[in-house]
Amino acid sequence: MFYASMFFQYVSQYVKTRFQYRANLFVEFFSDLLSQAVNFIFILIVFGHTSLLHGWNRDEIIFIYGFFLVPFALFSAFFNIWDFNDRYIIKGELDRILTRPIHSLFQIVLERMELESLLGALTGLVVMFYSGSRLGIELKWFDPILFIVFVVGGALVYGGVFVMLACVSFWADARTDIMPMMYNISNYGRYPVDIYNKVIRFVLTWLLPFAFVGVYPAAYFLGKKEWFSYAFLTPIMGVLFFVVSIFVWNQGVKKYRGAGN
Amino acid sequence: MNNAIEVKDLRKEFKSYSSRSGLRGAFRDLFTRNYKVVPAVNDISFSVRQGEMVGYIGENGAGKSTTIKMLTGILTPTTGSIVVNGMNPHKEREKFVRTIGVVFGQRSQLWWDIAVQESFRLLKKVYKVSDAHYNEHMDHVIKTLDIEPLLDKPVRKLSLGQRMRCELAAALIHNPPLLFLDEPTIGLDVLVKLKIREFLKEINEKYNTTILLTTHDLTDIEALCERVIMLDEGKIIYNGALRDLKDKWGDGKELQFQFLEKVDLDALKNLTIGMPVKWELDEKEHIYSALLEDIDELISQVIAKVVEAFKIKDIKINETSTEEIIRNIYEKGTV
Repeated sequence: MFYASMFFQYVSQYVKTRFQYRANLFVEFFSDLLSQAVNFIFILIVFGHTSLLHGWNRDEIIFIYGFFLVPFALFSAFFNIWDFNDRYIIKGELDRILTRPIHSLFQIVLERMELESLLGALTGLVVMFYSGSRLGIELKWFDPILFIVFVVGGALVYGGVFVMLACVSFWADARTDIMPMMYNISNYGRYPVDIYNKVIRFVLTWLLPFAFVGVYPAAYFLGKKEWFSYAFLTPIMGVLFFVVSIFVWNQGVKKYRGAGN
Repeated sequence: MNNAIEVKDLRKEFKSYSSRSGLRGAFRDLFTRNYKVVPAVNDISFSVRQGEMVGYIGENGAGKSTTIKMLTGILTPTTGSIVVNGMNPHKEREKFVRTIGVVFGQRSQLWWDIAVQESFRLLKKVYKVSDAHYNEHMDHVIKTLDIEPLLDKPVRKLSLGQRMRCELAAALIHNPPLLFLDEPTIGLDVLVKLKIREFLKEINEKYNTTILLTTHDLTDIEALCERVIMLDEGKIIYNGALRDLKDKWGDGKELQFQFLEKVDLDALKNLTIGMPVKWELDEKEHIYSALLEDIDELISQVIAKVVEAFKIKDIKINETSTEEIIRNIYEKGTV
């Protein structure tokens, strides 16, 4: 309860800060919308040239991409921790976090949230409706609920992996450049995994389970029965990875060496 | 009464690797590294009573900040035990930090972009302070620190002195029984310093707040603290009353002379030949100072001789300052 109320306190604070800079707010909102539109057109153009890929047709691939955008938007809004090492370890901001009576990771999530990233989910939904209607997908009454579960699961998979990566900074002194590389790898989850060879598929399913952010859950809505078991694993993988990452985080905080001053 | 802080055999080691020099060294570093275990805090023990104000002093890198960070639960000690407010700081961190207030002079606790009062409001929620408590307590704090006009400004627009006062107020929102101040007056002007000192004294009296203070400004310590704990290379070299330190070390006196005309230092030395006096000359200000033991007889003799021989503009008799005492101690390394 306390955490929920803190969450809304921070959100209202965030909104207030944004409203202080009115001009900035409008410009940003406009540019965000524009970049989402460009994204959408880009997707249509790129996938316009692929007709059939390992049994997946063009609209199905577009649908997967659209689905992927939703958990990704959720992730980018709340797990803005790619600069964790610089900001919190090297500059020692973690000192401040640790003197407050809220879980340290939760505080960082609250401090670093970027709610405008949620706009990406809108693009995702538009893309899904576009390709979904062309495919003639019919929704059952429980599909929206499953959709939310899968989206949250996918976002947690993402969050878990990137929190664990951020934890590397607790043990390693030097800055690591894993983060950008990981963003690259994470993109592979947007495409049907059976186009990759076995090793990559294994990695994307069990080690860096980015496939659970895109293909697997999307396959459920596309009615691809052979992937259903994977699709339903999504929330489990999400919770599992996230719980493990919190555990690793808690261990890491004990190893925190602090920045000199 | 229970002790607010109880530290026993506390030790914090940092593993650091020393890099070899040159390109060849860098290549060798790739394969084998020389790790050195450096104890930043070396088996220290001390305790602080509830309501005490204690100064924690030491040179840069003596281990002050490391100790404070362990006491506040930021760092985990390598060995040893810490009990602060009856809790183990890093084990029960979230519960524990509700009972302390922390001010790091070089790091802001407030949110950069939002108005000070918004920061306060958020912190009030974080610490679950009730409206009644908040109003009663903070009205007073805000008035005493004179930050009323700053409340609606964003933190980034405040001057250092203004910000520091707000930081202090922010650390006290939940009225903690224990306050850690890490160099709270660094870079502040005299007036702000005085205001902060007055304020600290007041809350100490009013709420019996325990205060642990690190600073390089010894006047802070002189004004506030009964007791000092002095640290050197991770070890406590002195733990006791500031007055005792002065009595023990500050036994010399200094006579400062300014003359109407230029005087040769050797002439002065000749004057006091056979007496235990050391002469020094500050070339820039033309101040001649004689360092001697604190014996009344000797002092008047020296003054008499000098006055007899030269025309004098000004005389001062100084006790050794705390700063000098501390400097002496550091140079020798022990008390």
